[in-house]
Amino acid sequence: MVVRQYNEELKYLEKINPYCWKIKMGFQPNMNVEGVFYVNNTLEKLMLDELRNACRPGMTGGFLPGVKQIANVAALPGIVGRSVGLPDVHSGYGFAIGNMAAFDMSNPKSIVSPGGVGFDINCGVRLLRTNLHEKDVQPIKEQLAQSLFDHIPVGVGSKGIIPMNARDMEEALEMGMDWSLREGYVWAEDKEHCEEYGRMLNADPSKVSLRAKKRGLPQLGTLGAGNHYAEIQVVDEIYDKYAAGKMGLERTGQVCVMIHSGSRGFGHQVATDALVQMEKAMKRDKIETNDRQLACARIHSVEGQDYLKAMAAAANFAWVNRSSMTFLTRQAFAKQFKMAPDDLDMHVIYDVSHNIAKVEEHIVDGKVKTLLVHRKGSTRAFPPHHPLIPVDYQLTGQPVLIGGTMGTCSYVLTGTHQGMTETFGSTCHGAGRALSRAKSRRNIDYMDVLSKLESMGISIRVASPKLVMEEAPESYKNVTDVVNTCHSAGISKKTVKLRPIAVIKG
Amino acid sequence: MSNIFKLKLSALGHPNPDSFNCEDEKEYRSVVLWLEDQKIRHYKIEEREGLRNIDADSWKEAYDTYQRDLVSPASEGSPNEQLNWLLSYAVRLEYADNVDKYKNAKAEQKKQAAPNIVSSNPLDNLDFSSPAFKSGVERVCTVAGIGPHLDPKMRLAALSKILKTTPHPDPPKAEVNVVQQPSDVLKLLFVQDLRNLQTKINEALVAVQTVTADPRTDTKLGRVGR
Repeated sequence: MVVRQYNEELKYLEKINPYCWKIKMGFQPNMNVEGVFYVNNTLEKLMLDELRNACRPGMTGGFLPGVKQIANVAALPGIVGRSVGLPDVHSGYGFAIGNMAAFDMSNPKSIVSPGGVGFDINCGVRLLRTNLHEKDVQPIKEQLAQSLFDHIPVGVGSKGIIPMNARDMEEALEMGMDWSLREGYVWAEDKEHCEEYGRMLNADPSKVSLRAKKRGLPQLGTLGAGNHYAEIQVVDEIYDKYAAGKMGLERTGQVCVMIHSGSRGFGHQVATDALVQMEKAMKRDKIETNDRQLACARIHSVEGQDYLKAMAAAANFAWVNRSSMTFLTRQAFAKQFKMAPDDLDMHVIYDVSHNIAKVEEHIVDGKVKTLLVHRKGSTRAFPPHHPLIPVDYQLTGQPVLIGGTMGTCSYVLTGTHQGMTETFGSTCHGAGRALSRAKSRRNIDYMDVLSKLESMGISIRVASPKLVMEEAPESYKNVTDVVNTCHSAGISKKTVKLRPIAVIKG
Repeated sequence: MSNIFKLKLSALGHPNPDSFNCEDEKEYRSVVLWLEDQKIRHYKIEEREGLRNIDADSWKEAYDTYQRDLVSPASEGSPNEQLNWLLSYAVRLEYADNVDKYKNAKAEQKKQAAPNIVSSNPLDNLDFSSPAFKSGVERVCTVAGIGPHLDPKMRLAALSKILKTTPHPDPPKAEVNVVQQPSDVLKLLFVQDLRNLQTKINEALVAVQTVTADPRTDTKLGRVGR
């Protein structure tokens, strides 16, 4: 890393409009393209403070500041357009979380990087709607939260209640949501409203280590720990009546269920395995990067292809996982209300992926190009009429589900044409961390967090209350700031705001 | 057109169908006379005098009267269309005179490898020579910046190539509505088609599920983590 004074560093940054900053060439060595990040005034301060802290003498260790990470990504071979930081960007392993970058498939030097996907492969959010109103749920909120907690095992080391053997697992990895569909855990309409239709076709379970499969097998149908959660939410505000109507969200007070989960230990193991392989490939192909954490391999190399196939299998695992939890949620509601899930209109509105690399076609400098788009802590947000979004959303644009933090609100956005041209059809994914986990544990008391949620009328079930402060709203950026920045910058459009009334968490 | 004339003339037994040039006024007139004399015979011989004066200026008048008398639907059309109708009419009369002789005649059918598919796609029946088609192609090509070419089909092919490789060009301001509205209608129709297709896919999936689905849960397996 280049060491400069903070004031010197600032010369490489330029505010090009109230919501967007440019990172000029030379901020980090060997940049192939410029960087860019989207922030409003509040988020801008967080971003620059992080950089200032890193410039203080003696600051070593830990992750690089987000701006530096965005610039390092811009120095990777084969990158096109710009390295984009979304408003919720914060430091991560190699790539910042909330960083998207696209690599030209036709350039033989282009790379794929597990750090650009993240460890929780295809971590994502699914939103179910119901035809219930808040007043139907309030009286039995506690029972409902308990019922969800009983159905969906949470926490580190939790095990699922859907019986699976090794053969089921192999099939699920290859088929993704088609497996859930075949076995009857989901409805045909669920598949329709899922990114990629819930299945990556290039998945190859034989490229996944035995260790990953062993870790994943008992975890299917579990929520996990960390920032993952299942929430019962109500519609708080509707900004775009037409788009909300297309999603079946007709009125304020309507009850929804949001599930935020990923590929559990399976995805983590796939990423770890790949990093080891890639270090070898980098030496062999003499790939140079600014940061050791940016381990990568050429897309068309054996290591690159193997990773993409294993990553696709992990993505399928995550979809099966969220589908299993959809099934369990429907069961829990059906039991409490003594009605069939059909009659409760418990349809999947949409299912988004946060951590994934996909082959997509985009327009770069006026030409259609096939790109490998890495989205880490970033959500795909395709505009109206894009061929890859479900027919029901052809006129509104793809729904983008933004999960807030425990106790804060969540948002539904839609994709825009401007986002398609500026950020390769990508937008933010959530609030984004402001404090590290360790810092949160030091500064915040878990009892305070729980009593605060209670005073807000939110029922909560957690597996490990003592870790709850890591996920306290204070540890995160304000999700409303993040979403408003995306809306004002035009890279996605606000549709609905949701407010939680019950949370279950690891 | 001349190819059709040739076919019909030889069917009627005209002495030199191959050399007939419909653009030549004199030949045109003599063919009309030949048709009336030999095939149509609508007038009595003495009434054919007007048509017989091939070199006279009054021939045109006689020809118009003749067509009116025959109640030709093509009398307002171009000379070629008028002649074409006369030829068809003559063929019809010839057939009616000798039904027994012709009714068993069969056209030699070419052997077809593929079954005959009747296309319902209206685009397949486009008249590529119509002025409407030509001017349409002209307009779209100007918008897309495609240079001139004699054959509008060639320009259309170039256009399709451009649209496939580069993003769609923005229409000029004056044309926005002309381009936008039809494309909006097309998009809506497409969305409707897609919805129907997706519904059919869902129905098929549900049908398969009745055979394969057996969702089970076993609460004994569950374990809440720490």
